[in-house]
Amino acid sequence: MSTRTPPSSCSSSAARSAIGGPVVGTAMDVEGQHTPQQVIAGLRATSEGEDLVQLLNPEGQRVSHPRFDLEISPAELRSLYRDMVLVRRSDREAKALQRQGELGLWAPLLGQEAAQIGAGRAMAPQDMAFPSYREHGIAWCRGVDPTELFGIFRGIDQGSWDPLSTGLQLYTIVIANQCLHATGYAMGQRLDGRIGDAETGEATICFFGDGATSQGDVHEGFVWAAVYDAPVVFFCQNNQWAISASLDRQTRVPLYQRARGYGFPGIRVDGNDVLATLAATRWALRECRTGNGPVLIEACTYRMDAHTTSDDPTRYQLATELEEWKLKDPLERVRVHLVREGLAEPEFFDGLAAEADELALRLRDYCISMPAPGPERIFSKVYAESSPLLDAAREDYLAYHASFTDAGSAPGSAH
Amino acid sequence: MAATAAPQTITLAKGLNQGLRAAMEADPKVIVMGEDVGRLGGVFRVTDGLQKDFGERRVFDTPLGESGIIGTAVGLAVRGYRPVCEIQFDAFVFPAFDQIVSQLAKMHYRSQGRLRMPVVVRIPHGGGIGAVEHHSESPESYFAHTPGLKVLACANPVDAYWMIQQAIACDDPVIFFEPKRRYWDKAPLDLATAPPPLFSSRVLRTGTTATVVAYGPMVRTVLDAATVAEQDGQTLEVIDLRTLSPLDLAPVFDSVRRTGRLICVSEAPGEVSLSSEVAARVSQECFYSLEAPVLRVTGFDTPYPPAKCEEDYVPDLDRVLDAVDRALAY
Amino acid sequence: MARIFALPDVGEGLTEAEILSWRVAPGDTVTVNQIIVEIETAKAAVELPSPYAGVVSELFAEPGATVAVGTPIIAIDDPLSAAAGSEPAPAGTIGEEGPSGRITTLVGYGPQASTVTRRPRKAGPTASPAAARAPLPQAKPPVRRLAKELGIDLRTVPGSGAGGVVTREDVQRAAHPVGNGTVTGAGITGSAAVGSAAVGSGTGQRREPIRGVRRATAAAVVSSAFTAPHVTVFLTVDVTPMMELRDRLVAQPRFRDVKLTPLAFAARALCLAARRTPEVNASWDEATGEIVYFDYVHLGIAAATPRGLVVPKIRNADRMSLRELAIAVDELAASAREGRTALGDMLGGTVTITNIGVFGVDTGTPILNPGESAILALGAIRDMPWVHDGAVVARKVCQLALSVDHRVVDGQQASQFLVAIATLLTDPAQAITF
Repeated sequence: MSTRTPPSSCSSSAARSAIGGPVVGTAMDVEGQHTPQQVIAGLRATSEGEDLVQLLNPEGQRVSHPRFDLEISPAELRSLYRDMVLVRRSDREAKALQRQGELGLWAPLLGQEAAQIGAGRAMAPQDMAFPSYREHGIAWCRGVDPTELFGIFRGIDQGSWDPLSTGLQLYTIVIANQCLHATGYAMGQRLDGRIGDAETGEATICFFGDGATSQGDVHEGFVWAAVYDAPVVFFCQNNQWAISASLDRQTRVPLYQRARGYGFPGIRVDGNDVLATLAATRWALRECRTGNGPVLIEACTYRMDAHTTSDDPTRYQLATELEEWKLKDPLERVRVHLVREGLAEPEFFDGLAAEADELALRLRDYCISMPAPGPERIFSKVYAESSPLLDAAREDYLAYHASFTDAGSAPGSAH
Repeated sequence: MAATAAPQTITLAKGLNQGLRAAMEADPKVIVMGEDVGRLGGVFRVTDGLQKDFGERRVFDTPLGESGIIGTAVGLAVRGYRPVCEIQFDAFVFPAFDQIVSQLAKMHYRSQGRLRMPVVVRIPHGGGIGAVEHHSESPESYFAHTPGLKVLACANPVDAYWMIQQAIACDDPVIFFEPKRRYWDKAPLDLATAPPPLFSSRVLRTGTTATVVAYGPMVRTVLDAATVAEQDGQTLEVIDLRTLSPLDLAPVFDSVRRTGRLICVSEAPGEVSLSSEVAARVSQECFYSLEAPVLRVTGFDTPYPPAKCEEDYVPDLDRVLDAVDRALAY
Repeated sequence: MARIFALPDVGEGLTEAEILSWRVAPGDTVTVNQIIVEIETAKAAVELPSPYAGVVSELFAEPGATVAVGTPIIAIDDPLSAAAGSEPAPAGTIGEEGPSGRITTLVGYGPQASTVTRRPRKAGPTASPAAARAPLPQAKPPVRRLAKELGIDLRTVPGSGAGGVVTREDVQRAAHPVGNGTVTGAGITGSAAVGSAAVGSGTGQRREPIRGVRRATAAAVVSSAFTAPHVTVFLTVDVTPMMELRDRLVAQPRFRDVKLTPLAFAARALCLAARRTPEVNASWDEATGEIVYFDYVHLGIAAATPRGLVVPKIRNADRMSLRELAIAVDELAASAREGRTALGDMLGGTVTITNIGVFGVDTGTPILNPGESAILALGAIRDMPWVHDGAVVARKVCQLALSVDHRVVDGQQASQFLVAIATLLTDPAQAITF
């Protein structure tokens, strides 16, 4: 059986072996699982390789990079760690709440904390973020409390925070739509003359996954951004999976290399290294601010939990793969570094654990107390200027709704 | 397909699974393609086990791109294959809308029959599952409105089993809607009972008080309403449309001529809905029989609301019976 | 206090799950989010974390059992919630009974409905929808078809439905306008409506349901009487010359087989008189805001039949000679008595004569046929003292009563018309001047 090397490798042999192989009918065995060689080759390629930007390795040691470096104080490092701990704890609590029937769905970000906190903390207040539906860490950095995300997943609203004042657009559930939106917004920043100054210039950053890169909207976004020199950072969190489709189902070339085809730089970073993502994203945003956008960043990370709480990854994921990536945990390497370098006292970790517990309790209490919206929500703000037909339908429905003897309690009968 | 002696009770999802299996056994040109259909077996498990049994050449996972799925299916059909494409959720069909409307629907007409598009596009539709945005839509009208396509909506496990096979065997492009909230409904499947023709509607329950027409996820709702109505001495005649394009309305006309009253029930927003189309045609054909105007019970003309509001949005038993009351008041 | 945890929908629309294995047993202390059970759904095997802290008091499902979403699976004694009033029960705590008695479930899915019921409504029965006003008559399609088959113009049918909608019964009534006895569409007020229900004290009552023809007739009478302002003018006439003419005419060969009655003369006189006062041959059209003046006279002749009053029309009576009118009147009366009146003869009248004299009364105040503007009542012809040529002698005397719709016909016109009729009856030779 010929081994088809997964595309994440930078070596040219991968490119040659990719040509001529049929799209369907690979060298996979009958169960459709990767061979161990393929898994390991893939893993190595995403976490090693000369193009990978890394500043803190999985063992918690600082490494240097010729192009990207970072001066960071102990306080800043502790702050980043705290961000990741609290975001992870929020995520775990939300998953538990879903399993208890308090949320209809949750999209976990477990494993992707460093990618998001690094990118989120690189943003300036005047920047705009266009998330997909998993960027709870970006929301955290933009000052959107985790409770504000619950409405979407509990089925109460479709995004409750103000996108313009927070600098975080609402979650986009249709894959990749936001890439065009981000590009357009960035075009607007340029049209408004907000580009030029490295400190005060505006930039946009757009978040999407590896699976999204197969959608046409990403490619059209790339074309437009390139042609219009839009100040947008395309931040791809390559967590290796799109539900059950592994990366090799989406591409024959490492994702960060796609940018070259469109005419702008692409960087690959260790997405589990918060320092690397922070440094690379700062650089990319600065490029955009000064008019050198767009930029593509591929943050190589791993989806440590399921696609959503409706998914069952045991059906397609190798347990060994998960175990390998646990060794690259984004939080653990920072913790080890802090301890080994004496940058944090035990009180810091204890206090953080207590803070995490308090946060979890607060989120739980908030979630289970969230009131359901009334029926008028259905008709609310469909248009900026309502139509008489819709107004009449609304009145009819509200009258109907009030005509039941148990009106005011939960809607009743069978579907 | 092997005929089993005793009817087995299956879910609607399982009915589709077995129907796909039978179709694939019958014709080696049938291939199944879509996101997560192979290894995972589909997010609703409709294609569970098919890749294992038929191999990756015939059942394969695609990249994440709906336009790509349908566009490449068009090409595969030109090549002589019979692709069965899965669109994972209703609102994800929109990136593929161009390929469906501009190409899949028109190829036969454009080529004057030289090129056939025996493609089935399976789409789970409807709400009521507590989901986030874009997972609860009912986009049937866009496709029923497009000439060149045929549009089906199965409502129960037995229809699911037979209709998917018949759709695959059909040489025209078929948009095949599956009621996702009913995927876990169960029914006994008796393989000895032959199925009705594919493009036919069916009377599920006879009655004299009024005719109620529905399709897809609303059929069960309407049957429940009929059960309740009977306790009040009203007998509703319930008709499952099954085929949305072409519509088979002869049984509906026949029924309305006997009852004089028609209620059309569909989950999609009412404006320009299948219910509106049926109402127009019945008004034309059964003009002298109508004791009341045709009433439509539909979703509202708003985007599908957050899940906590969906029980107010989706027509339920009470709204169906309210319409029956209003029709009887004339 | 025991808190119940019901099986949630863990995967977008799942309806049930199988209990695979319990991770806790009654008596165990559990913390929030501790895994308590593993379940298998149609999509996946899933571990469920506890929503409560406390001591497990009861497990409600066995491993291997399939449980519907919303069914309680475990009870946990939560010591914190036992504190009186300290912790308000959050709205919609899962698994707990809501006010409606159903287990409250949250996101995901409610219990599979095993009992299908309708929610009770507040208001009374649904009101019949009223039609908006419309320029043309309104009726359901099947009623229109019926009217078409019967040859009935809906514009001539008063609608008894809400908003003036013409019902099936209205059309049927218009096709067979059978009244009761002396109550006519061109009826006399204060007639047999008093009827048989009034009995002396001490005797029982006989009740007849109001339906069908009587109801229809009543509706028409009420409609006419209380829509058109009726004014009645009276004139007593010496019809001896008319009677003498009649005697001479019936001796002639042309009139030998013709039943020439005073009614026929009155009909001829009316048609001639109408030429000079066209207002009496007109109709007030409220809907269009017009008075319709007819070029023709379709003369209604009220006829009493065993089944009640019938008012067949003589079409284009104005173009008929006395002889033709006499024949027409006779034929209409005969066919009406025998129930043979053609449908076409029942419609479209423009003015009516009612011969109440045959019942033996002198005069009355006739009620207009709906849609018409004049009705002439012909009283009994009696020998009465009369001043003739200066002396009081016995003459053939008859009272005429003319009711008009005062919206269309004013007093002067009504009088002019009635005088003209009377003139033609008292001096038939005057007809040569009309």
